[in-house]
Amino acid sequence: MLKNKSIAVKLILLYTLSGGLIFLLVFSFHYHFSRKMIERKLADNAKNLVLSKVNRIEAALLALQKIPENLACFLESGSYTRESLLALLRLLVEKNPDIYGASIAFAPDGADLQWRSFAPYYYKLRGRIEFVDLSKASYDYTGWDWYQIPKELNRPSWSEPYFDEGAGNIFMTTYSVPFYMDKAGTRRFAGILTVDMNLERLQEVVSSIKVLQTGYGFLISKNGTILTHPIQSLIMNETLFGVAEARQDAQLREIGRKMIRGESGLLPFKDIVSAELCWMYYTPIPTNGWSLAVLFPQQEYIADIKSLNRIVIVLGIAGLLLLSLAVAFIARSIARPLRQMAQAANTIATGNLDIDLPTVKSEDEVGKLAEAFQYMKESLKEYIRQLTETTASKERIESELNIARQIQMNILPRIFPAFPDRPEFDIYAVIEPAREVGGDFYDFFQIDPTHLCFVMADVSGKGVPASLFMAVTKTLIKAMAGEETRPEVFLAKVNDELARGNEASMFVTVFCGVLNTETGEVVYANGGHNPPLVVRREGGVAYLDGIAGLVLGAMEGITYTGEHLILGPGDALFLYTDGVTEAMDKDQALFSEERLQQDVMELRGRPIKEMIKGVLEKVKLFTEGAPQSDDITMMVVQYHGQTRPS
Amino acid sequence: MGSMEFAARKENDRTVVSIRGKMDATTSAEIEAKLDGLVVGGEKKLIVDLKGLEYISSAGLRVLLATAKKLKSQQGDMVFANLDGNVKNVFKISGFFSIFKVYDDLEAALQQGRE
Repeated sequence: MLKNKSIAVKLILLYTLSGGLIFLLVFSFHYHFSRKMIERKLADNAKNLVLSKVNRIEAALLALQKIPENLACFLESGSYTRESLLALLRLLVEKNPDIYGASIAFAPDGADLQWRSFAPYYYKLRGRIEFVDLSKASYDYTGWDWYQIPKELNRPSWSEPYFDEGAGNIFMTTYSVPFYMDKAGTRRFAGILTVDMNLERLQEVVSSIKVLQTGYGFLISKNGTILTHPIQSLIMNETLFGVAEARQDAQLREIGRKMIRGESGLLPFKDIVSAELCWMYYTPIPTNGWSLAVLFPQQEYIADIKSLNRIVIVLGIAGLLLLSLAVAFIARSIARPLRQMAQAANTIATGNLDIDLPTVKSEDEVGKLAEAFQYMKESLKEYIRQLTETTASKERIESELNIARQIQMNILPRIFPAFPDRPEFDIYAVIEPAREVGGDFYDFFQIDPTHLCFVMADVSGKGVPASLFMAVTKTLIKAMAGEETRPEVFLAKVNDELARGNEASMFVTVFCGVLNTETGEVVYANGGHNPPLVVRREGGVAYLDGIAGLVLGAMEGITYTGEHLILGPGDALFLYTDGVTEAMDKDQALFSEERLQQDVMELRGRPIKEMIKGVLEKVKLFTEGAPQSDDITMMVVQYHGQTRPS
Repeated sequence: MGSMEFAARKENDRTVVSIRGKMDATTSAEIEAKLDGLVVGGEKKLIVDLKGLEYISSAGLRVLLATAKKLKSQQGDMVFANLDGNVKNVFKISGFFSIFKVYDDLEAALQQGRE
């Protein structure tokens, strides 16, 4: 999917995705750990707060406990009268703001008769101290919890908080302390000292607990009764268990049990009041078995983190956007010149090397590419220019070579019949040049009216040097022949001329003959050339057996031997160059002298033009499919005699 | 390698050069360069052993001529041995037998100098 998209898109996707991923990872990590840290801190703070509150409550309770305990000691050990007791009790209530009321409830069945049915009770009411003797009241106080429990347990105890209508509709809790008397050596239960504590102060301590906005604390009694709570209606009316039942909250019930058992703990909790998730820390008040719980609203604690996180996320997104922009910018700076260069390359490919390449100012890889591109374009241009020049000059040379070839061909005698007014002899020649300019040539000319000179020659090598040498040789032969009818003489002269200043050691093979048109005698000399075929009208076809002289042009001072042969009427000499005998077929087999001899034999009776054409065709057939590597040159000189047969 | 093998070794004061394969337009340039090297290096007496030379063209003949001329100008000389069918024919036709000494085998060529 990504294959076809541009660099910019790929880069942007890559960087924003990976950037986003990294950011997400870091953010999650940070969030997770900062939450953990906060929770830990919170736990510590919670404990500290709650414990300090508990300590205050404890302090208040302990302080209160001291009073009846001291009084109990006094009762046990001191001597007193009813009046002094009453005064003491009254003072107690009066002087202690925390004490709402106090009583000394002597046991009705006590050992000391003096103190039976005496249960003074002082209490505060509307700013005054009121008195009542409980033993005189209609109810039997021995049945009450505040009497029975400490009596049975033989130790002081705090009562469950209760709502005292009679005392002016306040919440109270009573601390009962049993006291004893020594009678006849035994320590016997003598009664219960009570002190009523106004719960309001405790309630204030607890309700003053403020935790951020929605946090609060609540107090429950030994039995789970809710003593303080923001929901006023719950106070003293419900136990924690009742609330748990009403809300079908098993967790709350479990918490209640733990609190009553005197355990401490910190746990997440869904607040009743705000319906928010909180942490609740609870711990017991050791003195009277109550339990204090404080709720710490999670949201508010996390609120800070949350808003911080929100800001971070926003910053992160903004950052990613900026990153995308930066990446897009860079991608563009890379992609645009690349695109332009691709376009330029396409234009150059069509042959237009003159377009302006895009300029790239930077020195980075793209800049270097642009530079290299420019350099390549310039070099290409130069190279193509040179190539065009070279091709042009090569074409010039080739056309000049073609012209040279034409000139070469033109200097050979090409008009046949060459001597129409001379019936005594016939001459025909053909040259089939190879692709490359070569050095074969033939020539014939009259030295004088009765002597015909004919030449077959082959310059060594190919190309321009060979063709130049060929022109020179041909001209020299004709010039040196002059009026000399002995070929060995003028060939030697030609050889000397050619050998002089011949640095390249080029040479030319020459067969030269002079026919006496009156007698049919041929004087010939051979300078390194293939011996011709002698075609006898009445006989066979055979190679001329002669002395092989040295090729012409090799070195000065060479002499040649002139030899003789007689041609009868109808006899002919078949001259050729090695382009015939060394013609190759596609298997690189040579035409060979034998085959030539055979073919000439077959064509013996024909007119010479036909004979030559016939051999040429046979050579062409032989070499079919293979390229012609050398000039194919042939010439036939036929003698008819003075009286030509009709 | 190609269609030509060239080797040269000293035999006393003679240098025996052996050329095998083909001597044509494509291989002649290399042969000429190597022969030149020997001549410039001061070799005066060359024995050219053409055993294994199957073919020689006019280009090859030209190289032999050129080398012979250079040697001549330094009072040296060049002889041949072991001419084979085709090559012998070419030597015959082009008249090289009239200017070069040709021996039937290498021993005969080596003997020659000692007489």
